[in-house]
Amino acid sequence: MTDRQWNDLLAVLRGEVLRPLPVGFIIDCPWLPGWCGMEVADYLSSETLWFEANRKAIETFPEAWFLPGFWSEFGMCTEPSAFGARCVFPRNEFPFAEKVIASVDQIAELKTPNPRTDGLLPFMLNRLRWARPQIEELGHKIRFSVSRGPLNVATFLMGATEFLMAIRTDPEPAHRLLRVITDFLKQWHALQRETFPTIDGILMLDDIVGFMGEKDFIEFGLPYFRELYDVNVAVKFFHNDAPCAKSIKFYSEIGINLYNPGIQTSLTEMRQLSGNRLVILGNVPPRDVLAQGTPDDVRAAVKKLLAEAKDPSRLILSCGGGVPPGVTTENMRAFLEAAQL
Amino acid sequence: MPRLAKAAAERVVSAGGDPLKLVQDFMMSAMAEAGRRFESNEYFVPELLLAARAMKNALEPIRPLLAAKSTQTAGCVVIGTVAGDLHDIGKNLVVAMLEGAGFEVLDLGVNVPPEKFIQTIKEKTPNIVAMSALLTTTMPAMKTTIDAMKQAGVRDQVRVVIGGAPITQKYADEIGADGYAGTASGAVPLAKRVMS
Repeated sequence: MTDRQWNDLLAVLRGEVLRPLPVGFIIDCPWLPGWCGMEVADYLSSETLWFEANRKAIETFPEAWFLPGFWSEFGMCTEPSAFGARCVFPRNEFPFAEKVIASVDQIAELKTPNPRTDGLLPFMLNRLRWARPQIEELGHKIRFSVSRGPLNVATFLMGATEFLMAIRTDPEPAHRLLRVITDFLKQWHALQRETFPTIDGILMLDDIVGFMGEKDFIEFGLPYFRELYDVNVAVKFFHNDAPCAKSIKFYSEIGINLYNPGIQTSLTEMRQLSGNRLVILGNVPPRDVLAQGTPDDVRAAVKKLLAEAKDPSRLILSCGGGVPPGVTTENMRAFLEAAQL
Repeated sequence: MPRLAKAAAERVVSAGGDPLKLVQDFMMSAMAEAGRRFESNEYFVPELLLAARAMKNALEPIRPLLAAKSTQTAGCVVIGTVAGDLHDIGKNLVVAMLEGAGFEVLDLGVNVPPEKFIQTIKEKTPNIVAMSALLTTTMPAMKTTIDAMKQAGVRDQVRVVIGGAPITQKYADEIGADGYAGTASGAVPLAKRVMS
């Protein structure tokens, strides 16, 4: 993000209304490579192709806030790689990591990885170190440390079914797993901040939050997220595009001030449940409208969202979740145009 | 709970209880109730998974008795999460529901490439192929798999049904699937419908 975009974001977090309303998108390997006509493996393995794809996005849509901005990532492999997960990188499909924990008994042996040396993390940082002068030449800065959240990483390491059952059948090992992961993630975010002093925000993505009821979230989510968001940065950004109705009331308590939801809960209800203490980045249907709809469908959906919003403060227009595969330039432009009205 | 469910089923069987009645009148009703509570936000995914695992464990001592009675299965379903997707929550719930309803289920697991679905169709001649995906990024593998089935000449041998969080009826129609279920509890009526 540029300095102006960042300052505008801070203004929105303070409750100020910007005109026109800001538009922001989370963009990453599900959308960018295909939009640029490159294969996913090339996007992830070539720093120049990765940089050029991100540059093309900001130059094609200069009025959009791309979050976190020049996201150095290896898809779902990033954090699991540090734990020794076998990472699979198909040529033009999204990478994934296989489980490392086959049984609950193995959790006791799990060691906290070192983000400086382990897995793909050093390469993530290297890519950004290399790109930083060019990013700043474009007027942008690296603003966020980024990772998956602790519940998400737990399911990558153990399997979603196994982890979500373990919180009931084996709560102590489940807590131990979350403890190891949280300690690792704290170090990982700290290392990103140390490497790039321009970072003044934290972004975590964790859809597993949406699979739990309130009681489970309070026990297995809240304390760990609270620790992770207890950092001295201005923007505390959370993505969960699974259901949020049972957890959103706790986000502000955790320290989160910017939230990217899914479309299961309306903007009105999210505001009510959260006491209107969050800035919402959303909430046009990503696949059915932004990806599959016509430009007119996109404009209509933005208009509908604006009508629902009534109070335009604490809103950054976006789709629910990140930009999905297949979104065309025309639809992105339609979104941005509709937001100007 | 899953271990207790198996023990309870074993006790009923040892006491001479009717295994079919146990499945149809009690276990399926319990799963349906779990599904109802999930729909009304009383239960969440952990509760559903435990219920499904309890069902699966309880079926273990019962299955041989049902086979011995030559109870005809409701049909054969091959199920898997599509290539590139490691999520199995929905799939595991559907497996439990289908098995409880008397279907024979061949679970191919997660990250199942089209070739594996096709190979299993040729070897096992199922009635239904059920595909699950949890991510918008892996959904396209459903279409890829259906197209591969057509190329392999096996598409017309099976009914294809799909499900998963980002899936819609519209998507099912687009890619040429025969049916779609929005919830695990919808899998059994869907399976029966596509087979009729």
